[in-house]
Amino acid sequence: MAAPDRDETLRATLVRGLSRRRTSLGVTVGPSAIWIVLLLVAPLAFMTAVSFASIDSVTFDIVWEPTVNNYYNLVAGGTSEYSLGPLVYKATAFEKAVLLSYAIATVATVLCLVFAFPLAYVLARLDDRMFKIVIYLVLLPFFTMYLVRAYSWRLMFGQSGVLNQVLGAVGVGPVGAFEFGILAIIVGLTHAYFPYMLITLYASLDGLDFSLIEAARDLGASRVDIVKDHIIPLTLPGIVGGCLFVFVPSVGAFITPQILGQGKVQMIGILIEQRAIGEATNAATASAASMAVVVSIVVAMFLVFRYVNLDELGGV
Amino acid sequence: MSHCDEATNDIEVSTNSKRSGTDGVSRRAYLASAGAATMFASAGCAGGGGGAPTINVITWNDFAQDPVVESVEENVDATVEITSSTSSTEMFQQMNQSGDFDVAVPNNNLVPRFLNADLIEPVNTDAVDNYGSIYQKFRDFVGQQFTQDGNAYGVPIRWGWYGYAYDTREVPDHEPSYNIMFEDDYVDTDLDGQVIMYDEAAKTMPVAALYLAASEGGSSYKEALTENDRMTFTEDQIQNMRDLLIDQKPSLEGYISSDTTFIQQFQQGNFLVGHSGRNEIVRLQENQDADWVEFVVPREGAMAWYETAVVSQASDNPEMAWEVVNEYISPATGAELARQGKSPSCNPNVADELDETEAELYGRIDPERIEQFIPFKDIDSDVQEPYNAAWEEVKA
Repeated sequence: MAAPDRDETLRATLVRGLSRRRTSLGVTVGPSAIWIVLLLVAPLAFMTAVSFASIDSVTFDIVWEPTVNNYYNLVAGGTSEYSLGPLVYKATAFEKAVLLSYAIATVATVLCLVFAFPLAYVLARLDDRMFKIVIYLVLLPFFTMYLVRAYSWRLMFGQSGVLNQVLGAVGVGPVGAFEFGILAIIVGLTHAYFPYMLITLYASLDGLDFSLIEAARDLGASRVDIVKDHIIPLTLPGIVGGCLFVFVPSVGAFITPQILGQGKVQMIGILIEQRAIGEATNAATASAASMAVVVSIVVAMFLVFRYVNLDELGGV
Repeated sequence: MSHCDEATNDIEVSTNSKRSGTDGVSRRAYLASAGAATMFASAGCAGGGGGAPTINVITWNDFAQDPVVESVEENVDATVEITSSTSSTEMFQQMNQSGDFDVAVPNNNLVPRFLNADLIEPVNTDAVDNYGSIYQKFRDFVGQQFTQDGNAYGVPIRWGWYGYAYDTREVPDHEPSYNIMFEDDYVDTDLDGQVIMYDEAAKTMPVAALYLAASEGGSSYKEALTENDRMTFTEDQIQNMRDLLIDQKPSLEGYISSDTTFIQQFQQGNFLVGHSGRNEIVRLQENQDADWVEFVVPREGAMAWYETAVVSQASDNPEMAWEVVNEYISPATGAELARQGKSPSCNPNVADELDETEAELYGRIDPERIEQFIPFKDIDSDVQEPYNAAWEEVKA
């Protein structure tokens, strides 16, 4: 009977140990904290340090002499003129890449929201069986690899892509808009990040008390008023959460613009990749560009969280 | 690594077959024999260190193909481990950051970078006895680009040149010129959105320079390309090249860097004129039977690349590493490499190992023809920043 006694002792020791606050924190939070420190905080700290260093032009080694030149060069010295419709402006390549990335990410986010919201609403109203069938069918294409989906869009666009071939067959094409470029990237990103928006919105709408909507209707509110005054305010945390899940990765997207931009659209991810491992290798300028993007996204998120409680994201 | 894996697999096969008929074998005897076999296999793997040394090579995927690796290993007493890479810059970074590689085979324009970073050692001319057979022109290039104190630091392996290809079904015959890429009325075909450029500054900026060199008073552009071991453009010249490429951009279908993508897109009819290497077009014509493609060398001149094998200063087996390099320009292995990449060897004797069709496509080249080509070069470090910034602005 010695073995059960040993087990009991071991169990008691474990329970005693785990009941101590410090130990239980170490066991529960410790692994994820180590993970975050090693794979997020440490690389970020290193990247920050490198962004204030420089690179030897002969040996390509990091020279640890503090400088702000890498940041200065991101916004200074731009001599090229770019046009956006009637607007002509001078900017550095970095500035243009950031503006372009934010613009493309904004459009992709809005499109995801517009397409996902009605579907999420319908899903929230479906019975359990139908919900499972519909959500399975909606998410089925997303079980394939992201890269494969991006390449499948590649076949659709281009001078002789499927879209232009179809339009050509009916005597309307080829249409320049369906060549590789910004539109193709927006389509690719909207498709890629659609499920993140859908699931977040669904989680939010699923918690909605639909009797409130029926009450509003009974009291004479129009459909538009119900959406504007009830549904959107009540699901705002979900909308913000979904937008963040789409917007943030879209800003830093690399694979989609690489595949669907045909080298003509330089989003910030591509510019950083070129500086990090491309021809113009310079880890310091690449780090500075990355830091600037990280800071801009953190500022954007900070502004968002001033209006939305972090606890409410993903549900009402 | 693969040899160890194969040995282990063999052992698994033999133990499995034994297990199926082990009625008369005790479990203990079976475990003992399996243990002994595993130890034997492990000893075989570890024993590699005592036999033929392993030479680690970071290079293009063509070098990793079985016929090439087998040909080297048949003739050199070494095991060759290939790490495939898709860019010379990556090879530089890998060799700079780790001492894992004995040999790298970057393009010639990056070799000065290896040399200046003190990463590579001079060519061992005793081990590389095929060096004397390579075209005189490439030996001259080596002398100009990466020779210090009378010591050459790299061995040219294969080479090729860049011009442009066009779809003869849509684009009429014309005098080959870069004008086709920059002037919309050069041929009687609407090429708006039908031109592809290379997605690399090192390849596209020289095209702009050669085009500008042909304009009135533009000879200094060609001098900047040809007269030194690096491209020595002035900042004004870089800005002019940048402006030219920015003006060209709206009429482009795009920029492509991958050979495979170029071939696929050309076949699909996504563009009609493409800045390209000759080997892509040979591959397209040979594998896809595309007789509608014409590859031409523009009258303004063409840039040429040549892969150059270098040996790391950190190599434990430099002499054996040079023997591997020597094998890459030997007739037998050189022919395998030429077949894999559809690119001629820098050693003309390799052509003797090719059949008639192969020799016509990537065999011996008239040395006078080689004289016309300008080797790719790295940008001078004095103007590296404005040059990189200019390319970023072109792509922005």
